[in-house]
Amino acid sequence: MIRDMFKKTYTRIDTRYRAQKGEPSIPEGLWRKCNKCGQPIYVEDVKSNYYVCPKCGGYFRMHAYRRIEMLVDEGTFEEWNQHMEFSNPLDFPGYEKKVQAAREKTNLDEAIVTGKGNIGGYPAVIGVCDARFMMSSMGHNVGEKITQAVERATREKLPVIIFAASGGARMQEGLVSLMQMAKTSAALKKHHEAGQLFISVLTDPTTGGVTASFAMLGDIIIAEPKALIGFAGPRVIEQTIGQKLPEGFQRAEFLQDHGFVDMIVERKDQKQVISQILALHQQDLSFFQDGVKIMRERIVSEAGVSAEDTAGNVKKNEEKRSLTERSAWDTVLLSRKSDRPTALDYIDALFDGFMEFHGDRYFKDDGAVVGGIAYFHGMPVTVIGQQKGKNTKDNIRRNFGMPSPDGYRKALRLMKQAETFGRPVICFVDTPGAFCGLEAEERGQGEAIARNLFEMSDLKVPILSIVIGEGGSGGALAMAVADQVWMMENAIYSILSPEGFASILWKDSKKAPEAAKYMKITASDLYERGLIERIIPEGENFSLDELPSAAACMDEAMAEFFENLEGEDGQVLAENRYQRFRRI
Amino acid sequence: MFDKILVANRGEIAVRIIRACREMGIKTVAVYSEADRDALHTMLADEAICIGPAASSQSYLNMERILSACVVTQADAIHPGFGFLSENARFAELCEKCSIAFIGPSAEIINRMGNKSEARKTMMEAGIPVVPGTKEPVFTAERGLELAESIGFPVMIKASSGGGGKGMRVSRSREDFTENFQNAQLESVKGFSDDTMYIEKYIEQPRHIEFQIMADKYGNVVHLGERDCSIQRRHQKVLEESPCQVISDELRKKMGQTAVMAAKAVNYENAGTIEFLLDKDKNFYFMEMNTRIQVEHPVTEMVTGLDLIKEQIRVAAGEPLSVKQEDITISGHALECRINAENPSRNFMPCPGKITNIHLPGGNGVRLDTHIYSDYIVPPNYDSMLLKLIVHGKDRQEAIAKMRSALGELIIEGIETNVDFQYEIINHPAFQSGETDTGFIPQYFSQYCK
Repeated sequence: MIRDMFKKTYTRIDTRYRAQKGEPSIPEGLWRKCNKCGQPIYVEDVKSNYYVCPKCGGYFRMHAYRRIEMLVDEGTFEEWNQHMEFSNPLDFPGYEKKVQAAREKTNLDEAIVTGKGNIGGYPAVIGVCDARFMMSSMGHNVGEKITQAVERATREKLPVIIFAASGGARMQEGLVSLMQMAKTSAALKKHHEAGQLFISVLTDPTTGGVTASFAMLGDIIIAEPKALIGFAGPRVIEQTIGQKLPEGFQRAEFLQDHGFVDMIVERKDQKQVISQILALHQQDLSFFQDGVKIMRERIVSEAGVSAEDTAGNVKKNEEKRSLTERSAWDTVLLSRKSDRPTALDYIDALFDGFMEFHGDRYFKDDGAVVGGIAYFHGMPVTVIGQQKGKNTKDNIRRNFGMPSPDGYRKALRLMKQAETFGRPVICFVDTPGAFCGLEAEERGQGEAIARNLFEMSDLKVPILSIVIGEGGSGGALAMAVADQVWMMENAIYSILSPEGFASILWKDSKKAPEAAKYMKITASDLYERGLIERIIPEGENFSLDELPSAAACMDEAMAEFFENLEGEDGQVLAENRYQRFRRI
Repeated sequence: MFDKILVANRGEIAVRIIRACREMGIKTVAVYSEADRDALHTMLADEAICIGPAASSQSYLNMERILSACVVTQADAIHPGFGFLSENARFAELCEKCSIAFIGPSAEIINRMGNKSEARKTMMEAGIPVVPGTKEPVFTAERGLELAESIGFPVMIKASSGGGGKGMRVSRSREDFTENFQNAQLESVKGFSDDTMYIEKYIEQPRHIEFQIMADKYGNVVHLGERDCSIQRRHQKVLEESPCQVISDELRKKMGQTAVMAAKAVNYENAGTIEFLLDKDKNFYFMEMNTRIQVEHPVTEMVTGLDLIKEQIRVAAGEPLSVKQEDITISGHALECRINAENPSRNFMPCPGKITNIHLPGGNGVRLDTHIYSDYIVPPNYDSMLLKLIVHGKDRQEAIAKMRSALGELIIEGIETNVDFQYEIINHPAFQSGETDTGFIPQYFSQYCK
């Protein structure tokens, strides 16, 4: 064989050999090893790729100043409290030496850098943790820097963005370190009460006392893909419970599924997403200030009509699209048709730049409810919808549009957020009913619905609810305690499904068509009885293709609705809403 | 001079480079993938080091592993061969950072010539003729006609998303332009939902002519004559020869000077190739520059008597060129057939497998560059080229006769090859008369071109 034909000398490789100058050698720092995939990677590639491994997409921990460079508009960063006197509250032996070593290693004064800078042109207060500095544990100085930055942001009416990373409390400072959790949280509460925005960005790893304080208090919580986020570290949990933890446990995606993270944003998109959020929270855009004015200007410039005409247009448009006579049962069937536009279709047709937020902050992110912020003709609004699926797979994810308690709690969280920042709320109602199941009861379906009725009745911003398909009982009402409730022409809104009604009253669910007639559940029935304020005509064969013309009609009506509420005080809105239901 | 060279390639070119090094008294290091444990280059080199699994991305394309192999074996230079990392600017740059000589041009030149529009721009600035055309997308026949007239008829109307002849039309005059434009655009809209068109000069019956360039660190540049690579199948060269039948001494001088000018325009170093299109009226246009040694370099070696690999190594080691332009003469005629493990009757599907029996031709003026041997298993992971059969005769006729005889003797059993296909080309009257352009295979061997 060929192997025996040629004589070969095998050289031994001397691993201790160190190349002389000019001899082939790989310079120090040319490569680094990816700690996720183990592959060697060219350092230049890592730098130009936002410190993400070009081979496996794994995220490297970033230096605080690199992150600031990546986020803040060039030349706008102004650092605050760069140096703070070292404190050793417990006189812990060796602590000062350890901090000194960390300072030398990282060229940082402490584990966090705070300051002010512009992001996409919007000024914000920024804090960035650096895990190289004693695992970015929170001692007095870290807590103090965060607190001072938040206090100053509150005074200067600036949003706060903190990139969290931490192993937790700083052991060497004992209870003083623990108190930083309370101190930073208290400062953020004041910031919140002043109606100011806080965006928390969770990076790998965010654990312990930091997770249990400022990191989880964001109005909006963003996480980096696959970041480890948790209170107790996975090793501690494993040792305590004596079990192996599942794959993906305590990772960003796990947290999002469990309702604690609004969105997972890749590094390359972070600047853009954060500046978009900042734009949506510019103070002068809120409803009670110039929101409606901006909206009206936009409508005028887009359509070239004066705002006074809008009301007239709505009438004309509605007349053009006259309502069709149908039996109640036919309407029921139409309202359930699988090709009816869903909440996301309406959101897409009516709003710009929809940014979806996830989670109830308690247990789960419910796929049956979608929500987030968007622009309505340049005015920021909060949009929430009950979402049905388009196919079986999608429907499983959306639970056939039947919200769990987590869905109602997510909706309520977003409404409360809207109230804080003065944004109107628009709800799209489309559900066969609240989810009827074991888990739903365990987590308090009744309580969740009740809580929404309770809180929505008093929300200090306008609420508009539109029933776009099925308005199934309490599950629908939990998103329809509104200033006005509108319905699509072939939507229904009922105490119970006609099938259920027939089987309770007549012990025969086959009598559903008859029941539908007596129940008075169609838009025109309810309009006649003064239970809803407006019907949006659908035209013949309403489907996704027909949506644009119906949406145009809805758009005008919504513009008119907001205009009529202009100048209304939040208190008055809530009182009027109270009276709306009080009358019934 | 280098003490030890690592050959970052496989197959016949790795063998070719190892042989040249051996002749020069330079030690060699072969790198091989797990699929190439029994490959000839692995056996022939003084040292061999396994750099990973069969997949190219894990072995022959893995820069970190190759550089590490170079460092641990203390080889002072890397020859990249062709393909794989040979035109990878990043690799050339990394070699430099690791104090390893890259046998080829600098990263900067590779980058510049690798970018087609950048290369075209550079050449236009240096006064080298390029195929006239527009980078401007055209949407209407009116604008198209304006451009066509400024370029000069005949023109090629090309759909931006076109392919396989769809959305392509040749317009020969003002009169037929609008109709052709509209038809091509309609085809493109129907086929690709895109109405973006481009207009460029139509080169009639073009020949693919390339000039071999050699340049040293001291600004000396010579050309080593041309190669006619017009016999192509789907832009893959099948058979090459030197010199080209239709190029007169005068034209050779002119094209050669242009090629040297092009190389000088970018301060080129080491071996390179300037590719031209030559139309039937003997106008030539720059197409692109290849910044590496090429598969077909042996035909140039046969007619010039120069060893290009050795010259590459010498130049990379900082020596001046061993020849001046006036020393270079083209003598006789050389042909090269690429023999691949593929089945021409099944759309040239690659046919890896075990070679059960082999007989290789020889004799006066017959050269074989190969890495195969009896019982060799052709792995499915790489290029299917098995060997290059090169002949050198006193004129074209003799060269063709030698090639015919050599192909007749060449026997490879166990796997399918294109030997018979090459034999048919050699015996084709159109080939023998030298009337070949890039349309040769589609025109005469349409039965193979599905």
